[in-house]
Amino acid sequence: MKSLSALAQSYIERFDTALETLPGQSSRSITDLRKAGLEKFSQQDFPNKRVEEWRYTNLSALTKGAANEDSSGAPALAASSFDADFEIVFIDGIFSENESRLDKLPQGLSLSSLATELGNGAVFSLNDEEDRSLIALNTAFMQDGFCLHVTENTQISGVLGITFKSTGTETHGLHIRNRISLDDGASLTMLERHEGKGSYFSNPVTDISIGNNARLDHYKFQNESVSAFHLALTDVEILQGGIYKNFSFSVGAKISRNELKTVILGSDAESHLDGAYLMRGEQHCDTTTLTEHKVPQNISNQTYKGVLDDRAHGVFQGKIHIAPNAQQVAGDQLSKALLLSDYAGVDCKPELEIYADDVKCSHGATSGELDDDALFYLQARGISESNARKILIEAFLGDVLTSIDNDVVREYFNTQSALWLQNS
Amino acid sequence: MLEIKDLRAEIGGKEILKGINLTINPGEIHAVMGPNGAGKSTLSYVLSGRQGYEVTAGSVTYQGQNLLDMDPDVRACSGIFLAFQYPVEIPGVASATFLKTALNAQRKFRGEEELDAIQFLKLVREKTKELGIKDDMLKRAVNVGFSGGEKKRNEVLQMALLEPQLMLLDETDSGLDIDALKVAADGVNRLRSPERSALIITHYQRLLDYIVPDFVHVLADGKIVKSGDKSLALELEEKGYAEISAA
Repeated sequence: MKSLSALAQSYIERFDTALETLPGQSSRSITDLRKAGLEKFSQQDFPNKRVEEWRYTNLSALTKGAANEDSSGAPALAASSFDADFEIVFIDGIFSENESRLDKLPQGLSLSSLATELGNGAVFSLNDEEDRSLIALNTAFMQDGFCLHVTENTQISGVLGITFKSTGTETHGLHIRNRISLDDGASLTMLERHEGKGSYFSNPVTDISIGNNARLDHYKFQNESVSAFHLALTDVEILQGGIYKNFSFSVGAKISRNELKTVILGSDAESHLDGAYLMRGEQHCDTTTLTEHKVPQNISNQTYKGVLDDRAHGVFQGKIHIAPNAQQVAGDQLSKALLLSDYAGVDCKPELEIYADDVKCSHGATSGELDDDALFYLQARGISESNARKILIEAFLGDVLTSIDNDVVREYFNTQSALWLQNS
Repeated sequence: MLEIKDLRAEIGGKEILKGINLTINPGEIHAVMGPNGAGKSTLSYVLSGRQGYEVTAGSVTYQGQNLLDMDPDVRACSGIFLAFQYPVEIPGVASATFLKTALNAQRKFRGEEELDAIQFLKLVREKTKELGIKDDMLKRAVNVGFSGGEKKRNEVLQMALLEPQLMLLDETDSGLDIDALKVAADGVNRLRSPERSALIITHYQRLLDYIVPDFVHVLADGKIVKSGDKSLALELEEKGYAEISAA
């Protein structure tokens, strides 16, 4: 029998004790679900580099269980405030009623903590076509998160804030489980933020279902501490005419992975996965997407832009899968990275798996340095080298940031991007 | 204003400038003409501080200071303007933003107050009107999708806004039709004053019909081989570089 990683062993060892305090402990079905999750996880361990999907992201710094002593635990960017219209806040992975502002929740939007839902016997499933061990682990140890539901034809105006703050005092993993469902014709804009200090392991898993003609604008700001591990998995199902737009803006974590899976189950549905990541130092940022077109006549696109300084490393793996009957589908994918240092790097793996013959797909991946000619041109007009570099980096990020539909969120991300540039 | 002494410079280990001597006094317009490969563009890049050109000997004094010690942006802020032979396209940077940033960087350097958006717009409208340039290019990204003529007009507009002390024109006439050529010449002539100088680098005499130089120099194989007044340009046009250089 192969030996498990130190961290996996420690999870297995404390599972029985954990069961006594994790929410839903009185429910037989939830306990069984957790046990099944642990069983599945212990058969697999954490993903390692021998797993094809994890070739470019090495988790051994996390899984060897060595104390993360070399790291400062500093926030990537100073904690920022976002003026959400309503907000649910989690401290170290646990719902904080005091910090949340849920008194003005509009009609048709219900929001509750996972712990409450599990206590009420809500049903979760371990079903996962890809059998991902991080989902199994999350299922075994999920301790809190949010359950969000928007009722039929309800259009929520304003931005819902979902904020995860880590204080660095929780040494066990933060296994957050979220569920979002939009009924037919519903729409919502939300900004999910992760920020913190210290060393910790954050493992949010989010299941999203988008009803017929529903629309979710899902923004994410990943600003974990530079010593943190952030391994997020988001699974989305989109029905006919539904629109899912995800924009992830990442500046944080020592090692992060944003894994997005969207399954398009209806015609005229759209999946848009975009993002920007700004990394420096020894940071590693992995974006892995899987878009499945199961039926004809729908579209998906992805645009990711990364700025990598020092020894930072970026990964983009994007797979578009088009089922045999899924004709007249358009799928586009683009990944661009700007390398500010000779030691920064990026790995890209675009994949198209097309089993239909009447489709339009494209993919592209580029990486490059700042344009010397442009730098000199700006300098020759009196702009200092450092300002000229900033102008060119902002220009590189410009089109992806300006594509953000929501004005308030776009402004917020622009501000964060400028702060990041100020620190360089 | 500018004193170049025995200037030698190389790129990638290959010597291009082989001992240039040139003095430009305030108010003077000098033209440097020469065949392709003579080192004309290298001279303009060395004077504006482009990386990759190594000065191996000689000196360049600008307004009493060692020019070669200055960063490119400091040179620009000190009044040196290079009109590029090939203006660079910068996607994602709006022309107006770029111009305002550049102008304010220079104003700040000189200890002047920076212009706000409204003051800047007023100034830039004034300049475009004077020069007969359409101001719709301000909304577009710097030089992106501009025709050759538009790019050169944009250079002239920048020059008019930044009001340099020393204008370096690197083959500004290349690829220009006669109308664009006139706009470019007009831009320089408007700035002509007893304090301002210009160094006009060109392959053809044509531009010098519109910007009349005080002095003309022939650059060949990295050296100035002949100097004279404006009649030298006409002589070059007539006889060609080979004959003049050999003489």
